[in-house]
Amino acid sequence: MHRDVRQGSKLSRRLRCGIAAAAFLLAAGTAGAQTLEVAVEASPAGLDPHIVTAFASSQIVLGPIYEGLTALDKDLNIVPGLAQSWTMSADGKTVTFKLRPGVTFHDGKPMEAEDVASSLRRVVSKDVGSPLASRLAAMESATAVDATTLELKLKEPSAPLLASLTGIAIVPRGLEANKDALQRAPVGTGPFKFEEWRPNGFIRLAKHAGYWNAAGVKLAGVKFNFVPEAATRAVGIGNGQFALLPHIDAATAMQLEGKPNVTMQKTQELAYTLIGMNVSKPPFDNAKVREALNYALNRKEIIDAALFGAGAPAAPLPPVLKDWAVEVKDLPCYAYDPAKAQALLKESGVALPISVSMTMLPRQDIRDIAQVVQQQLGKVGIKVELKNPELGQFVQDWRNSNFDLFASTNAGSIEPDDYFYRAFRTGGSTNVFKYSNPELDALLDKGRATLDKPARQTIYRDVQKILGCTGPAAHIAYPTLFSAVRGNLQGYQIYANRSLVSLGGASLR
Amino acid sequence: MLRHLLQRGLDLVIVLFGISAIVFLMIRLIPGDAVAIMLGANTEVTPERLAAMRAELGLDKPLIEQYLSWVGRALHGDFGTSIWTGRPVIQEIAAQIWPTLELTFLALLFGAVLAVPLGCLMAQWRGGKADLVLRLGAIAGLTIPSFWLGIVMLIAVAAWLPGFASLGYVPFSEDPLGNLQRMLLPAVALALPILANLSRLVRSAMLDALGQDYVRTARAKGLAENAVLYRHALRNALIPFVTSVGIMAGYLLGGAIVVEQVFSIPGLGRLILGAIAERNYPLVQATILVVTVGFVAVNALVDLAYALIDPRLRTAS
Repeated sequence: MHRDVRQGSKLSRRLRCGIAAAAFLLAAGTAGAQTLEVAVEASPAGLDPHIVTAFASSQIVLGPIYEGLTALDKDLNIVPGLAQSWTMSADGKTVTFKLRPGVTFHDGKPMEAEDVASSLRRVVSKDVGSPLASRLAAMESATAVDATTLELKLKEPSAPLLASLTGIAIVPRGLEANKDALQRAPVGTGPFKFEEWRPNGFIRLAKHAGYWNAAGVKLAGVKFNFVPEAATRAVGIGNGQFALLPHIDAATAMQLEGKPNVTMQKTQELAYTLIGMNVSKPPFDNAKVREALNYALNRKEIIDAALFGAGAPAAPLPPVLKDWAVEVKDLPCYAYDPAKAQALLKESGVALPISVSMTMLPRQDIRDIAQVVQQQLGKVGIKVELKNPELGQFVQDWRNSNFDLFASTNAGSIEPDDYFYRAFRTGGSTNVFKYSNPELDALLDKGRATLDKPARQTIYRDVQKILGCTGPAAHIAYPTLFSAVRGNLQGYQIYANRSLVSLGGASLR
Repeated sequence: MLRHLLQRGLDLVIVLFGISAIVFLMIRLIPGDAVAIMLGANTEVTPERLAAMRAELGLDKPLIEQYLSWVGRALHGDFGTSIWTGRPVIQEIAAQIWPTLELTFLALLFGAVLAVPLGCLMAQWRGGKADLVLRLGAIAGLTIPSFWLGIVMLIAVAAWLPGFASLGYVPFSEDPLGNLQRMLLPAVALALPILANLSRLVRSAMLDALGQDYVRTARAKGLAENAVLYRHALRNALIPFVTSVGIMAGYLLGGAIVVEQVFSIPGLGRLILGAIAERNYPLVQATILVVTVGFVAVNALVDLAYALIDPRLRTAS
């Protein structure tokens, strides 16, 4: 028996040597590749830039594969994209774009004004049914004047237009009634062209040799690996199998902190977490109860407890949009004051204690936030029962306004109108709160049509004052967004809107 | 024998119909339909657009009508197209079935091949310290979940063998070494519970066999102990073992779901998990049918294997 044991250990030593040798051979074999290995959590549903909107899809699609007429730099300023310059008529109803010359699509055809006009028409086409259609609601017509000049006519002046155009990809002409062609085989003008998609495996992009700034593209390609387990992604960047984990949350980032060869980039996200209230039924149809809920929340404590301190207390607009945002400290109702909350609840005439349920988006950070909120509301006499549905159920309840309270996250952009119009205007497409306030509606309509910036700033200041007190959403936090970057990746820059556009200039050493 | 096979075939058809009806109903009874999830929270949609998409996918018709039309097309070999990608579901399954088959095969091979000698040794050393250690090991193997073991192995390998590529999947035909390297950890994670289970089974079956009269007879006529063990006792102990291997093969497909998730292997498990989350009805239905056929087929093979091991069963049918 003794002999057996010894033999066993000799065998396992030999096995270990074998594995090590095999590993070494393999590691040596893969050196010298210039394709960037990225690990992302979820596979996109499709790659048509006018149809998919989830982060899982759009971060791969817009930036690396597709470009818009306008673009954003890392400080979120609007800069020329496929349009080199633009001029606006005095009445604000005609915008003329001068296109960048020498741009070609991935299929080798040149990009001309007709492609741009066709792309814009495609977004509003009924056959395609793009969720981006409302961004071009003001468009009357798009016409190609010549190969590099596009004329956009508007029904009324549209202040958010240039911001909206940063998110609208330019695709080849002739697809205005075709919603299938681009889903699995995208054709854009970006620095990388689509090569291969293995479902549940990866999407591989290769450098677009005909890119208008081809000299600046240093990577041979980018491979997006779909790795659903956070622990697996962490192992992958730790051993160098992946060089980039873009847009991860604080919990994952903290696990990676201090790993050799891995650095962390961070920025403040444009998306915000919120507690939504259903104003179509008691008790949140009562403005005083909504106001009380805001006073009852200690946003700092929520961020410390649920987000490991990685986030900023939220006002209706993020601090990054410094030209527009009202700071949290200037919103009296967002200050923590439980005594005031209790007083307001008494004033409201609602029977106490209040018992409500809160449905949570199934995501760990949201669940954590909801639990802290439950405790804080409990202290002022609002009893909250938490509901933890699966995603499909959540989406259904959310869309049908089947909730008292919900905890979730809302996407953001650089344009105030994007934050408010669809979510809070009467009948807005994501106004699941059923909130209706004629005063706010008038302001939002005016905000869209006002081109003068100071006047517009005043309008949105008023909007935030209304929403930041008796509005149907208690804004909680703008979380910090992290990207884990391997030491050999250079030139990658994290963007607050989760864009991966910087990969166009990144390189591997 | 032929009658036996026909009986099996008939069973398969009945099982498939039953499963297809249950799956069809179950996936539709979970709240939240494909269209709502496809559009997700946060996108701008109108009720008209939701209705149009439902009509396009045939989700507005009564359930029984949907089921019958699905069965009708399936009988003609058309299992529909994936709601999300628009590709035929057969193509989607074909693209992802190999990693799972390979993983299942390797895990089964590893588990079953090691279980026989281990079980025999445990029986031979019954009551000894080695038996105790092996049995404790087996209980640990049974109770430690594969996904946890997988993550721990991943982290350990990353720490001690930083160059070892352990994630993802490379087809065997493209890179045999890379394929086996990546399959090693998941196959071991998946195999350990099987190894534990089967070796315990072999042990108790062997102990059972060793208590039988024919073993005493064999010993009495002066046969060497090894010949008694391996030629007489083991052969009889193998029947429950083979049954269990068949059943395990079916459960392995389920275990593979979790392990594929951890090691990010694009197999059937991830396909089906994603399909359920997306309410991708045609894909869920077809994938589950494929798994069911596999399960029933393996068990039919097990029945045939009995006949090889036990001559009595050959004549009985």
